[in-house]
Amino acid sequence: MSAPTPDAIIRLEHVHKRFGDLVVLDDVSLRIPTGATTTIIGPSGTGKSVLLKHIVGLMRPDAGAVWVGDVDMATASEADKFQVRKRFGMLFQDGALFDDLSAGDNVAFPLVHHTRMSADERRAVAEAKLAMVELEGVYDRPTAALSGGQRKRVGLARAIVLEPEVVLFDEPTSGLDPMTSATIDALIGQLKRRLGLTFVVITHDIVSAVGISDRIGMLYGGKLVAWGPTADVVRSTEPIVRAFLERNLVWAPDGRASLPHADRLLEGAAAEALKGPQPR
Amino acid sequence: MNALATFGRFGWFVADVVAASLRHPLPWRRTIEEAWRIGVRSLPILVTISFFVGTNLALQGYAAFAPMGGQALLGMFVALAGVRELAPIMVAAMVAAKAGTEMASQIAVMRIREQIDALEVMAVDPLWFLITPRALGIVLVLPALTVVSIFTVIASSALVAVVQLGEPGVPFLQRVWATTSGLDLLVCSVKAAAFGTLICLVSCYFGYTSKPGPAGVGSATNAAVVVSAVACAILNYFISELAYG
Repeated sequence: MSAPTPDAIIRLEHVHKRFGDLVVLDDVSLRIPTGATTTIIGPSGTGKSVLLKHIVGLMRPDAGAVWVGDVDMATASEADKFQVRKRFGMLFQDGALFDDLSAGDNVAFPLVHHTRMSADERRAVAEAKLAMVELEGVYDRPTAALSGGQRKRVGLARAIVLEPEVVLFDEPTSGLDPMTSATIDALIGQLKRRLGLTFVVITHDIVSAVGISDRIGMLYGGKLVAWGPTADVVRSTEPIVRAFLERNLVWAPDGRASLPHADRLLEGAAAEALKGPQPR
Repeated sequence: MNALATFGRFGWFVADVVAASLRHPLPWRRTIEEAWRIGVRSLPILVTISFFVGTNLALQGYAAFAPMGGQALLGMFVALAGVRELAPIMVAAMVAAKAGTEMASQIAVMRIREQIDALEVMAVDPLWFLITPRALGIVLVLPALTVVSIFTVIASSALVAVVQLGEPGVPFLQRVWATTSGLDLLVCSVKAAAFGTLICLVSCYFGYTSKPGPAGVGSATNAAVVVSAVACAILNYFISELAYG
């Protein structure tokens, strides 16, 4: 086992994980490049969230290594894992906001624990991050009064408040209507351009994945069945990948692909890939 | 076998809580908040229950002793039963039912809503953040609640003895005073602190290890109150045996 190379901030090496008889991750190896948006797609129950939990050290693999920088999260002590986690921000599926705190206090929460800022300074920083996710004027609002999309955005503001190196997204568009999903996708794209961070996204929303990702990996039955630049994965001829994609992408008679929701964001290579002919 | 495994996991959990509490600075502000919350919220129901336990002790004691002409022993009976035994275990049962279930359900909901995972990812130790202040808070407040319960039991039993049963008040209180020693109050305080620690750790353990979904929260809350109550009853015997046996 070796430490990762500078171009891959996170690297999984032959990771195995099983719960009882159920194999959740089966010899998964991948390198998540620094400064890019990497998305892991796949149907529900294929181990995507388990993979994410291995990266942040919430789970240990049965075998294999999970390198973050020069720390193997599979064998690191709790103290070392806590140090590594200071480099992460994470948006949880339902936001994971604390109900007894206001929206703004949720965003400021990591500042309370990891900086010596005064209350006024924390408020200023948290308000700036809320503005960054296009959610101004909600600092004092109770989290119960926020919509699903707003909760995700508050969770995203909290994830970036300490300016981490890596931001992890667990199903950022799940449970949202198409318009709100498009807004979240757009926001991820904007933050990526503005902050230049490494983003790791877990989703079963292929439309979202194609829109925001530089690289895509697909998990199926615990195995990584596809891995590469978004354009390559979209055009993959692997039957499982095609079956998953074609339930979501719409192919026109002239061989061009389109997405079911025209308002969803498409950028760069992913958009170009979809303009090409349909794979035969 | 299953219970033994759970006991083993609970042991590791307690060790982790102690280690986490020692690794980080004591969260005094949150501890005071917890103590205040548990104390103030529990006080009305505790005083009500203690009051009526006291009235019943007086009635039952009188019914038992009066036919033999032993009414004068009523104060001693109240002191022995109410002060030494009933008050601490009653406070423990009440706190287990109220604060313990609240802790278990709150932490279980935080678990299933991924808020505990969020704390870990934000590099905030969830054991230290969630459990240390609750444990310290309950240890601080339970002895005080027990003292309140003791005085309420004595006052209400004296009220019934004097007003309803026509016993002279001063000899009654003198009997109570003569039977109750400083050791009794010390033992009550030790019991209260031990029960508080046990209730908090058991409740937090079941909440922390809750299974997913509403059923998981329900099971955790149920297990918390049942196990806390049984464990406190057993511990009560051993502390009484050590102190008075």
